[in-house]
Amino acid sequence: MFVKAAKAISPQYTLDDRFLNGEFVDEVSPVYRAIEPDYSPLIPAGLLRRMGKAVRIGIGAGLPLLQEAGKVDGIILGTANGGLEDCVKFLNQIVEYDEGVLTPTNFVQSTPNAVAGQLALMSENTGYNSTHVNGSLSFENSLIDAAMLLEEKQQATILVGAIEEFSQYNYTIDKHAGRFREIPVSNSQLTKRLEPGSICGEGSSMFIVSNDATDAQVEIIDVAQVTSEDEKEVEATLIDFLIRNQVPADEVKTVALGRNGDARTDHFYTAISNRLTSIESTICFKAYCGEYRTAAAFGLYTLFQLSKHPLLDWNGNQLHFIGNYALVYNHFDGIRHGYILVKKLR
Amino acid sequence: MKRKVVVTGMGVISSLGNNLNENHQSLRNALSGIGKADFFESAYVATLPFAEINASDEQLRIKVPNAANPSYTRTTLIALHAVLEAIQDAQLTTEQLQSNRTAFISSSTVGGMCYTDSLYNDANDNGNPSPYVTSYEGSDHTVRIALYFGLTGYTDTINTACSSSANAIMQGMRLIQTGRADRVIVGGADCLAKYTVNGFNALRILSESPCKPFDQNRDGLTLGEAAAYLVLEAEECSIGKRKWAEVSGAGNANDAYHPSATSDDARGPVLAMTRALDNAGLRPDQIAYINAHGTGTENNDRTECVGFQRVFGTPPAFNSTKSYTGHTLGAAGSLEAVFTILSIANQEVYASLNCEHPQAEFAFQPARSHIQVLPIAHAMSNSFGFGGNCTSLIFSACS
Repeated sequence: MFVKAAKAISPQYTLDDRFLNGEFVDEVSPVYRAIEPDYSPLIPAGLLRRMGKAVRIGIGAGLPLLQEAGKVDGIILGTANGGLEDCVKFLNQIVEYDEGVLTPTNFVQSTPNAVAGQLALMSENTGYNSTHVNGSLSFENSLIDAAMLLEEKQQATILVGAIEEFSQYNYTIDKHAGRFREIPVSNSQLTKRLEPGSICGEGSSMFIVSNDATDAQVEIIDVAQVTSEDEKEVEATLIDFLIRNQVPADEVKTVALGRNGDARTDHFYTAISNRLTSIESTICFKAYCGEYRTAAAFGLYTLFQLSKHPLLDWNGNQLHFIGNYALVYNHFDGIRHGYILVKKLR
Repeated sequence: MKRKVVVTGMGVISSLGNNLNENHQSLRNALSGIGKADFFESAYVATLPFAEINASDEQLRIKVPNAANPSYTRTTLIALHAVLEAIQDAQLTTEQLQSNRTAFISSSTVGGMCYTDSLYNDANDNGNPSPYVTSYEGSDHTVRIALYFGLTGYTDTINTACSSSANAIMQGMRLIQTGRADRVIVGGADCLAKYTVNGFNALRILSESPCKPFDQNRDGLTLGEAAAYLVLEAEECSIGKRKWAEVSGAGNANDAYHPSATSDDARGPVLAMTRALDNAGLRPDQIAYINAHGTGTENNDRTECVGFQRVFGTPPAFNSTKSYTGHTLGAAGSLEAVFTILSIANQEVYASLNCEHPQAEFAFQPARSHIQVLPIAHAMSNSFGFGGNCTSLIFSACS
């Protein structure tokens, strides 16, 4: 599966060259919020007003890619929570109006498949369409879905991606569950000072993938996952995964790690790094995008960019895609672990 | 050459009963599960019929072994209940279950958000967190079931609205066909929730009487709850087992017409049905029975019949088992897959209920009484959802 193009709406300036040039947003903040573009060239004003953020950032990153790609054979998205803001707005109406007469807009916008559905509608695409809502593995599931579709068709192009929106509601719920820190920290310090909890982020990362290698810089070799709280099992899954794909561990020299500064579960990243004995380049992508369930898609986005030109780290040093193989490894709560194996083609 | 995928186990809990046999008996005897809800708490219980599972959360917690965890929602409880039955039916050993070649693909629309009031309080920071504060994700039940059984293989959760668990079955079929898994437990679970009841009510598509699929005077759907799971196995892994049916094809398409209505020309449904036929390598005239999506809304039933006309000319015997179970949303695709397979296994088509005056504009109508005539070699099951998500599945008798 070859990655032909990528676009991200993120807490960094990823829609223009600033992110690539090392102009980072580095603010002390309890939430790293997505920087949204002017949607007016893409979305009619009347439609935009009714759209929740998940749908908006999904269209904002996905629709331009669909327009550039021409005909695509499928739209496959991952999101743990979909439009949670609209969901809770509707829920608040239910409770506050005691199940009275309600307007359906928030309900329709809140269904997680509204993003893939709206993208199909706006691009008049009647192809394969699916939405994976498997928590922090939703993007990895979407990639497997896309890989199967490409195997079934001889020639195909697919939009695959992930979306997660911040809302005060999910923030409150996740904070109750101990996922976010009490004291805000800046992007550049997130992974440097380990404490319980992380900082919430959001974003949408979209990719055009194809079984045609022309002009592609990056190939997604395979995807693996495991649901386990046992570090040994998490390491064993990586080793099996590399063996299955005939990639020696010491040939993976570049890694995109989901380190999020959470002292309680950071050890999984250390364990995986130690298993890959020859790492020369590490990108901790959540310092840029914050913690959210489908952030692994932003991890793949950083590798895609890195395959074309170096990125800067927080100290101004250049990060390169070193070697032929790279791994995106991410986990959430130390329970669900995802692995994406990537090959640089040229 | 694609690997052949067979169904070796089924488990179900719905308003028709707490296991496969009870569901089958209700269908055979034309006994609908739609009526007044006893356990669901909503202002609409007084005015609207529902198809409720006949068990409270507390009763379910006792029925399911080791399910005392206070964070288990009703979605998780009914899903566990049906998964356990499916696993037993397929005689899966613990070793097979925990193998990394065994995958689990679930689906739900309400997921962990089935307790609207708890979610309201937790999301708005009112008082102490409820026991469900870590349970709201759409995939909550999937993770809990994976941990419950010690599953180590691939897991996934799909939400394409009302076609969710049809896509879970399609996904499972493809995992086996492409060699990514040998066994996949697939299905869906959705329970009655204020969230969906108020949502569908706001869209004005809930009927005040039990739904009347394909009737001229139909006026909306009835919401129900269910969990239904199937064990799919690569044929070579199923030696010596009863094979309920073969999963012989699946087609997925987007209607690309409207966020919450289907197109007049049924382009999405037509594409889903024709892609499923192509995928199975079958002609339309080889399908002997269709379990229709048949929600009982004005829009769906008309569109679906237009689709039948375009794909089949005159369709084979069809029914809507939603006239028994109501619309169980994320569980509907797998629940109706189970019913379709029961039809194949028993060579019978269950009566489509409440269709007194078939739609005048079509020359065909659903099976209005129980038919026990058919050798059903191949049957289709349709699921169409909000967001334009259309999926058709084809099951075939195992020789």
